Parts: sequence; C-alpha cells; structure tokens
Amino acid sequence: MSLLPRRLNASLGLWVAVVFAAITLTRLTSFAATAAEPPAAEAVIRKRLALAIVAEEADQKREIRELALTGSKVVREILSAWPKDRILLYTGDGGVRIPALIEDETDADGKSRAARIDTGAFLADASGKTLRFATTDITTAETDAALRTVLQLALDAMALADPLPDARKTAILKLGNSQKPLNIVILQERLPLENDPDVKKAILESIALLQLGDPDPTVLKAAIEQLGRLRSIGSLDLLKRVSAREGLSPEIRRVLAESIHGIDNHINNVNLVGTFFRGLSLGSILLVVALGLAITFGLMGIINMAHGEMIAIGAYTTYVVQNLFGTGFGFSITLPFSFGGKPIAFGLHLPGLNATGSLYESYFLFAIPLSFLMAALAGLVIERLVIRFLYRRPLESLLATWGVSLVMQQLFRMVFGANNVQVGSPTGLVGHFDINDVSFGYNRVFVIGFAVLIVIGTWLLLTRTSLGLLIRAVMQNRDMASCIGVRTNRVNVLTFAFGSGLAGLAGAFLSQIGNVGPSLGQSYIVDSFMTVVVGGVGSIVGTVCAAIGIGTADQILQQTTGSPVTGKIVVLISIILFLQWRPGGLFSIRSRSLD
Amino acid sequence: MRPESKRLETWLTIAAAFVLIVLLPALNALPLPEALHVSDFTINLYGKYLCYAILAISVDVLWGYTGLLSLGQALFFSLGGYMMGMYLMRMIGDLGQYHQPIPDFLVFLGWSKLPPFWQPFSSFPFALLMAALLPGVLATVFGFLAFRSRIRGVYFSILTQALTYGACLLFFRNSLLLGGNNGFTDFKFILGQNLRTPGTQRGLYIVTAVTLVAIFMGCRWLSRTKFGLIQQAIRDSENRVLFSGYAAAHYKLFVFVLCSLIASIGGVLYVPQVGIINPSEMGTEKSLEAVVWVAVGGRGTLIGPILGAFGVNALKSWATRAYPDLWLIFLGVLFVLVTVFMPRGLVGIPGQLRGLYQRWNRTSKDPAPVAVAEVEAEKGGL
Amino acid sequence: MKFSPCNLLGTAAAAMIAFGTATAETVKVGILHSLSGTMAISETSLRDTLLFAFDEINAAGGIKADGKTYTIEPVIVDGASNWPLFAEKAKQLLEQDKVAVVFGCWTSVSRKSVLPVFEKDNGLLFYPVQYEGEELSKNIFYTAEAVNQQATPAVDYLLKMGKKKFYLIGTDYVYPQTTNLILYKYLLLHGIPVENIGGGFRKDADGKVISAGKYTPFSHTDYQQIVAEIKQFAASGDACVLNTVNGDSNVPLFKEIAAAGLSAADCPVVSFSLAEDELRALPTKDLVGELGCWTYFMSINTPENKSFIGRWDAWLKTESYPGVVKEKRAVDSPMVLSYDGVYLWKAAVEKAGTIGVDAVRTALESGSISFKGPAGKTTMQANHHTVKNVYIGETKANGQFKILKEFKDVAGEPFILKGLDEKLAAGK
Repeated sequence: MSLLPRRLNASLGLWVAVVFAAITLTRLTSFAATAAEPPAAEAVIRKRLALAIVAEEADQKREIRELALTGSKVVREILSAWPKDRILLYTGDGGVRIPALIEDETDADGKSRAARIDTGAFLADASGKTLRFATTDITTAETDAALRTVLQLALDAMALADPLPDARKTAILKLGNSQKPLNIVILQERLPLENDPDVKKAILESIALLQLGDPDPTVLKAAIEQLGRLRSIGSLDLLKRVSAREGLSPEIRRVLAESIHGIDNHINNVNLVGTFFRGLSLGSILLVVALGLAITFGLMGIINMAHGEMIAIGAYTTYVVQNLFGTGFGFSITLPFSFGGKPIAFGLHLPGLNATGSLYESYFLFAIPLSFLMAALAGLVIERLVIRFLYRRPLESLLATWGVSLVMQQLFRMVFGANNVQVGSPTGLVGHFDINDVSFGYNRVFVIGFAVLIVIGTWLLLTRTSLGLLIRAVMQNRDMASCIGVRTNRVNVLTFAFGSGLAGLAGAFLSQIGNVGPSLGQSYIVDSFMTVVVGGVGSIVGTVCAAIGIGTADQILQQTTGSPVTGKIVVLISIILFLQWRPGGLFSIRSRSLD
Repeated sequence: MRPESKRLETWLTIAAAFVLIVLLPALNALPLPEALHVSDFTINLYGKYLCYAILAISVDVLWGYTGLLSLGQALFFSLGGYMMGMYLMRMIGDLGQYHQPIPDFLVFLGWSKLPPFWQPFSSFPFALLMAALLPGVLATVFGFLAFRSRIRGVYFSILTQALTYGACLLFFRNSLLLGGNNGFTDFKFILGQNLRTPGTQRGLYIVTAVTLVAIFMGCRWLSRTKFGLIQQAIRDSENRVLFSGYAAAHYKLFVFVLCSLIASIGGVLYVPQVGIINPSEMGTEKSLEAVVWVAVGGRGTLIGPILGAFGVNALKSWATRAYPDLWLIFLGVLFVLVTVFMPRGLVGIPGQLRGLYQRWNRTSKDPAPVAVAEVEAEKGGL
Repeated sequence: MKFSPCNLLGTAAAAMIAFGTATAETVKVGILHSLSGTMAISETSLRDTLLFAFDEINAAGGIKADGKTYTIEPVIVDGASNWPLFAEKAKQLLEQDKVAVVFGCWTSVSRKSVLPVFEKDNGLLFYPVQYEGEELSKNIFYTAEAVNQQATPAVDYLLKMGKKKFYLIGTDYVYPQTTNLILYKYLLLHGIPVENIGGGFRKDADGKVISAGKYTPFSHTDYQQIVAEIKQFAASGDACVLNTVNGDSNVPLFKEIAAAGLSAADCPVVSFSLAEDELRALPTKDLVGELGCWTYFMSINTPENKSFIGRWDAWLKTESYPGVVKEKRAVDSPMVLSYDGVYLWKAAVEKAGTIGVDAVRTALESGSISFKGPAGKTTMQANHHTVKNVYIGETKANGQFKILKEFKDVAGEPFILKGLDEKLAAGK
C-alpha cells in the first residue's frame, strides 16, 4: 500500500482546517486560558451542544466539528461523556427531549443527578426538586461507530491543546499512526508551542513516523534516524515494513538497520527494568500474603490451611465497607431445612452511607484497618474453637484447618454468592506513570510501599514491644514460658489473631489487583507456604528475602521462557532443589535441639 | 495382642473379603428381586471407593506407620491413572469423533500421526510396566533427595505438596500432549472387552476388590515383620533409630517408593471405572482429601483407611445429592471434629468410649475433670 | 445405599393443584452443575435459571405428553468442580433417579467426562455454554454458541473496524486452544500477515503451527508481564486483543489493563468468556468500550427480553430455594441458553408426545423445534446445534453491553477447523 493517498478525502481536508483553527485559537488565547471563557460564550456553546446531541445525523456531525473549533472546556467534557453513555435524554413537557449530563457520583439507590447541557443546571421537576436517575432505566444519547469516530477526531483535535500532557501525547501519537502525511503540518505547527519534553518527543516521533511515507530519500533517511534516536518502540513495526520495501539505497538500509537495532536494544532494556519492577511487585504481593503465615506457621507451627480464607475475609471486608459507603449491604440465606413447614431463612440488610466523591473513595482507608480487625477476630474464634487443641499436633492442625477452610469457603458462597464481587479502586490507585517507556502502575507502587510498611510494623511489634517479647518467648519454648508465669494461652490467641489480621490486610490489597470471590484464598495458599519454607520457618527476614526472590525469579523466567506456566514450574522445581541444599530455608534458626 | 482377638480379626477380615469379592458382585450379577439386587450403579460406585481405599492405605502406611505425611500421593495415583488412560486411549482406535487412528485431542491440536512416546502404549503390559516405573522412579529420586537431606515433618508435607502442584501445572499444559485440562475420556475397550457393559464393570470391581485385599494382607504382613517394627520406631523417634545404627533414610525411601506403587495401582484400577483422568486429580486438595479419609477412619491401623475412604466418600456421594449447598460445611465440620476430638478416628471410638467410661467411674469419686481433647492430644501426639 | 428424597419441592407441588382434568404426574429432570469448588463462580447462576424455568413451566400448566400433564421435579446434584464426580453424578441421575433429561455442565472437561455415561445409558443432556465445537454426540444437544457463532463474527467486526494487529490470549485448555487455532487460520485467510498475530506460536516438527496465542493456567493472577507485552504490541496502533481467558482470571487481567492505561479506544479487548455475570466483578467504570460477542445480551431491546427480565426479577423475590442469591443479579448468555434449552426440550416433548429419549431426540433433530426466547428465535438443527442471532456489544460503565451489531440467524457448525484448513491449502 502506498503511504501517500492519491485522493484526498474531503472530510480529511475539513479536519485539517478544524485542527488548524483549534491550534490558532489556543495560540491566541494561550494555554491556561482555554478553561476560562466569558460566560456569554459558554451559554451559546451550551445551547449549540444541546441542539447537536438531538440533531439529525448529518447535521450532528457538522455541528460537532464546528463545536470542536471553539476549543471550549465544556465541549470537551460533553463530547467525551457522550460515547460513555453519560448523556441522558430526558423527555420533558410536550415530548421535548432535553439532553443532560449524568453525574459520576451516585447516591444510595445508585441514582445520580443530571445537569442540563443547555443551561448547566440540574434537571428538576415542576416543583423545582432535583431529579435523580438510575443508570439502568434511562435513555441515553446513543452513539454508533461512525459517530464515535467523529467524536474521537474532534476530541483529538482538542486534545492537542489539552492542558494535560498525557492527553496531548495520546492525541499526537494517534495522528502519528494515522499514516496520513497531511497531519505533519498540524504537528509541526504544534511543535514550537509545546513545552513538555515528553510531549515534544511524541511530536517529533509522530512527525518522523509520518515522514516514513515520504518518497524523498533524504527525508526518509532523516526520519529513520530520528526514530532511532528517539528509541521509538511504536515505530518498530513500520520500520521493519520499510526495510521490506524494494529499491532502497544501501545508505538507507544501513541507517534502517542501525535504528532497528537501537530500538531493539531499547526494548530489551525496558523489558529488563520492567521485569525487575514487576518482580518486585509480585514479590511484595507474595510477601504480604505470606507474612501472616510467617507468624502463624513460622512462629507458632500451625499449618494453617485456612490462611487463604483469612485473606478472603480481608477482601470481603473491603467489599462490605465499600458497599456501606455506597448503597448498603445485604444478604439472605435459605437453608434446606424446614421449621414448622417453612424453610429456615435469615438475612441482614445494612443501610449505606450514600457517600459520594472523595468521601466515597476514602472507603479504602477505612477498609484497611477493618479488614485487619475482621480477620483477626476470625482468627481469634478459630484459635479458641479448634487450634488450641492442636499445639502439640502440628501435622493434624493441617487437617482441622483444612476443614475450617472448606466451611468458610461455603459460607462465603452463601453470604456473598458464588460469583466474584466487584471491588472498585480509588481513583488514586488507577493508572500508571511512565519513566523512559517503563510503566509503573500506581496500584503496584502502592503494593510495594504497603508491603514495606507492614513488614516494618511487624518487625517493630516483634522486637520492640513487650508483647513481641512474650510472643517470641512462648513460640521458642511454650512450657518454659508458661513456667515463668507467661499466660501462654493469651499469647497464643493474640499471636494467631495477629497473623490472621495480617492475612486480612493482604486481602484488602489483593482486592485492588485480583478478584474477590469464595476461592480467592486457594490461589495463594501454596505460594504462601513455599515462601515461608524457602525463607526459613520462623524468620521474618527470610520470608522477605524469599518473597522478593521468588517474585523476581518468576517474572524473569516468564520473560525468558515466554510462558507463565513454564516459569512457575521451573520456580517450583528450583525450590525443591534449593531445599535439598538448605533444608532449613534461607535463614534457618540455629538450634541444638535434634527435632 | 491376645490370641483370641487375633483369631477374631482374621475371621473378620475373611468375612469382609468374602462380602467384597464374592457376595456383592454375585448380588449384582444374579437376577434377584429388587430388595436384594445390587445395581450396576452401586457396584461401579463401590469400585471407585475401593480404589480410594487403596490410595488411603498408601497414605496410611506412610503417615500412620512411618510418620511421613505425604501430600503427594494423589500425584502417584494419577500417574498410574494416566498410564492406564494412555492405554485405554489407544484402545479407542478410530472410533473417536474424527474417526482417526489417533486420540481426538491430538487431531485438533493439529497432529496427524501419533507422537513417538505414545506408540508403545497400545500394549497393556507396557502400560502396566510404566504405571509401576514412572511413579517408582519419581518417588525414588524425590525420596532420595528428601531423605538424604533429612527433610521431615511439616517440611516433607510441604515439599510433596510443591511437587504435586508443579506436576499438576505441567499436566494442565496442552503441549505435554496428554490431553491438557480435558485429560483422557470416552474410553471404549479394555483388553478387548467393552467397558460400557455391566459385566466388564463387575469384572473390574472384582479385580479391584481382590487387589485391595491383597494389598491389605501384604501391608499387614509387612507391619509385623522386623522391617515394620523399625518403620514404626522411625515414626515414634527417628533419632533413637538413627543412634541405634539403622539407616533410617533407607527405610523411609523404601516405604515411600512402596507407597507410591500402591497409590499407582489404585490409579490404574480407578481410571477404567470412572472413565476419566485429568490433571485436577493430582491437585493438592485431592491428596489432602486422602489424608482426611485416613484420619477419619483411624491412622496407624490398616482397616481404618478403608473404612475412612468408604465412609467419607459415601457421605460425599449422598450429601452432594441431598444437600448440594451445605455438604461442604458438613464435611468441613466433620474433619474438624474428627481431628480435634477423635485423633484415632472411627477405629478408635470403642477405645475412647471405654476410656470415657473408666474416667467417668473415677471422676465420680475424684472430681478433677480434664478436657477430653487435651488428654487425647497428649496420647495422639506425633 | 439409600438416598433421602430431595426436599426442594415446595412450589412445584403447589402448581399441580390447578390441573385436575389430565392425569398429573411428575417428571424428574436433572440439574448437573458445580455448586462448590472453582467452577461454582459461573455455574451456580445456571442452576438458578433452570429452577426459574421449571417453576415457570409448572405454573403455566406443566408439560403435556403421554396423555398426562407432567410437572417438572428438579433433581439437583453438585458436581463440585470435580470431573470424576460429574461422571458419578450423571450415572446417579440416569440410573438411580431415572431423569428424563439433564441440563448441565459448563467446562468442556465436565461434558467430556459425562459424555460416555450419557451414551451408555442413552440419556439426554442440554449443554449451554460457548465451547470449541469439534464434538457431536447423539445424546447431547448444544444450545451453546459454537465458534462460528461467537469468535469468527467478532473477528469479522474487528476487521471491518480496520484492526490490523491481533493479539491472542487464553487460558490453557481446550476451548481457547481450539478457538485461537481457528482464529489464527481465519485471520490468515483474511489476509492478516503472521507477524501481525501476537501471543506466540508453537509449531510441530514439520513447522506447522499447532497452537497460537499466549496461555496462562487456570486461576492465574499475575498478568503484569502479558499486559506489558500487549502494550508494546499495540504501540504501533490498530491493534486489538482476542481474549479467551476463562472466568475469574479476567478480573486480574482487566484490572491490570485498566492500570496500564490500555484504553479501549486504542486497543479494544474482545472477550469470549466474559458476560454480564462476570462483568459484575470488574471495575467497569475503567473499562468502557471493551467488546463482547454472545448470542444474548441483557440489554437486548425486545418485549420478550424485557418481560423475561421482569419475570426473573419477580421470581427472585419470591423463590425460596436454598442457595439462590437474591441480591445484585444479572442475566447473561449461558443463563439464557440454559433457559432456552428447557423450552426447546419442552417443545420437543410435546411434539413427540412422550418423554422417551429417542422420540424426543427425533423431534429435536427434525429441525422444526424452535423457541422464541429472550434472545430471539432459537431453532435446533439436525446437527444438534442451534440457529440463532449473534450480537456484538461493548461494555458500558453500568456493567451492561451496548449492542453494536446483530448477525441474524447464524447456524451453529461444530466442525470448522477442517474447512479452514482446506481453504487455506487452496489459497496457497
């Protein structure tokens, strides 16, 4: 396919004009001024927008293009909300359809207000009371693929002047990948206006990408060199395609090979750094899930197969807290037994706070301590009911706790349903930032930070508090501790509850990364035991090292073998072999005792 | 043991063997009135339980007699099953969905001819040989490494669990060419007999029952030899055995390999009766389940695992039909209760009752109540 | 062994009173799904839909055949995500309970494990979940989507959207493996060069591709690496992801996708195992515009569907079966296909005039049994697969799909690999 279209698409021409105008406009009004428009202008724009939404197809598209020219913030807001089904079509008096923007925030019943597009005021009924709408039973302004393309183009054009660098970058790269040389002009216009180095780079990259289609060998050569210099990953495909072209001069071939080689190297470096970051993040997850076990299994010697369910309790607590901040939480259970001819059923309904906005988002801050408490409470109950009989029979604690884990899984199913439940992420934890093409997810960075915090917390508790001293004393020699007056029963309960609480914390976290469902715990139980055993039973430092080590090894193997399963199998085999060499784990506790 | 109770035990064994091997199949085969007739379904179900009982014995000989809690027995069980499965897959011939001479899953993975390692499995003796060799070699290598570096107790359990988990992941891979997640199903013939006729199923049941009785007798004999005594001594105090000059590692290795073979035999008999083998059979929870059967029945005895395997599975068969929503809770609570309050399992109940009765007699004179569980904990401590 | 009678039958009994004229009798019908274990996540909903369908039929007068009016008595068993147990339960249903028909199974392996049982005892199974095809048993009717009713229409749509690069990812089992192999061949046939198909290939000794795409094990939770790879793959634009990852692994996958900022506008993900029921667990706000392809969406705007959802909600409020969760329910394609199956069976029984398996099968195979359900008209064909509408939709922030395209009356075809191979060979 030739990269230079012979026939210019008419609408494309129009687009160039639109984008030109948008840029000129921004130049005139300068950057920050885009947001502030005179109120009169905004009112006019709002009216036009409202009309455009309900307009006929052909008019609609023309109007959208013209509206994009205004570069107005309200246009951007409405146009981006449109394809997300956030424009409500309210049928007012006399069947007039009034478009309105549905708010993101919802109240107790999952309903939200809607702001009229033409005035900006909330929709209200005759008496002036603000109306609230449930997202399920409203008619929204529909979009189809064609309209969305138009909207996207309009948004792209506006995005070139967006105050957010990321949005500008996306828009620029989209133009770069369009393979339409016309866009070069637009981008070159934009270049001197741009201050952000990242975005500048994107513009240069996009221009070079478009120039790859240029028939002039000098331009082509310069473009190839430019892409190589910029280490543009996205251009690799295109460069390879260029190198498959016939009749390239040896000079260009040389430059091409150099650039491709450079980019390949860059990709390798990105992958290397990325792999280590991902290893660290996976290691932190392993650490967080295994730390509780390092206490209950490592220190107390209880093979707690219900550890995974403690994690699930934490995750479900997060879910419940989230619902309590929102619309409330309820469940009902019917048992297959009858009492007086009626099936036995019970249920519970807790009303929600109906919080919105940042208050709603802050649910996670409350969920973290609560998940610790709930899991600790469950641990306490289990210790009193089951585990206290088994301190002298560690192998059998495995069986009893497995039974507990089966019961708990089924209870989760009865209370929360067999399906996974939805736990949303606070806005702060969604998204990522890039450093030199390596992307760092906020949730991943958060996990690493959180892991560091709880390890420090645990370490302080065990080594700097009197409770920690008692815990260590009882775990080292229960009988001796008991003899010198330590209330071992109480210490046992507290230790087990603490270990379970840590598992609960892990659950709060995993809710941000994986699924929350009845068998959540099962996915982590084998890994947790591995981590503790490799680290050396009874050693917190060991658990930390083992978690990071296993995490990194897993990611590296995944990268090199290209298959997640093979990586995992190799890790397991290495662990088995490693333990032949060091049966006590990385940091085994030295002792003169034989058993 | 007193001679008369020994004689009683022998008679009971013979009676039970008679019921299992002769009576039940006869009741199934003969045209009897409804009340006496044993249905094909029941025979097939019991056949499955018997295979589980074989698996349970292998767990018990390791755990109850040698003190090694292996969470890898399901792996050996499945390996045996897979070898048998490969033979059965070959016996389907070209009667599969595609009417090709190779197994269906290979056809839609794009194979047009049989991979070389599949070739010899057309032979039944070869499949049996492999069912003994593969688990045997794996157990020897793993056991040698583990016992050499004196891995014991909890560590041994967790390592065997890791081994099983790794193998399970491996078998889930389609590229292993063993059917991936779907495993092997839709078997048609065994040794020229149609697997779907009641007669063949009855035959398989009888073979399983005879094998179980033979394994039971064999293990009973072994436990009474000098070897068996050392084995139990290792369980009770490995260090003392070591200091007495015995190479405990060798004994353990032998038992481990023996038990892997027993489990594998169970698997070989299991697959033609249930009609499917896939990697989830070697999942960690399957091994745990087998341990639970032993715990429920009573470990350290040979009749216990058989009772446990039968009892728990019958309960499961019934509860998954009668209380599909609650059966896991029943089962879980049962495991907890058995572990905490009945460390010697079903077999130990008479002894426990006797103990309770004696204590009740005593406490009526001397009021110093002691929690049952704690006393039992001391007795059953490992 | 004795089995205690099932005690789940409050409502069924009540429905019997109304019909005094014909002889009222019950017909036992099996429900064979996993209500515990890993697959309970998906399968429990199907049990609920089946109970709903039975109650509805019983309340409307039952099934008329053999000169009697039958009310349906459900026999629920738990397969517990344990495949040998599935086989055992199937035997129990057919040999002990002597059920007339069984509705059940989700995973291919569970279907494969019960297949010999159904063939041996000449039972009847209705299978409701999209699957890889390449199977045809005389005892199984597949109301499920075959590959040509789901994956290939979706690819057609993407090609039309102008997508040029396709990344294949799935869970390592037979459905994704087969589907991806079919899609790989299908894409080649539509002129997509091999280097634009991502995820990797495995070839046999002769260099023939036997597996395409990236595979993760069941319940995989760590998708960082794969999403990073997809990001690099998509860096050059016009890319999309064809996702056959199973069930709950989709949650970590999509959470990772949302975190990595891989937006649907740049690189849409079209998922074949992600319906409304699974979407409930996903952060849908961050995933607007991802694609799905099914033969039913809850958002289908027809009176039949509106009424179906209304009746379902009403039933949920009043039913008293143990284990049925009442809060926050959704309806999705596998559930509706289960529901359709029940009505197809009812129609076949009434046409055959008996509940006998052979007669019902003949009726179903005649090609004249159809049911106008919530998803539109479904007709059973002689090849045991159905003719029905296929819809492509994109996810909305409220966890629903917005329907983008409808393919009318697509006939299910189980064996399509061979045809593709032949076409590819002819092309070369």
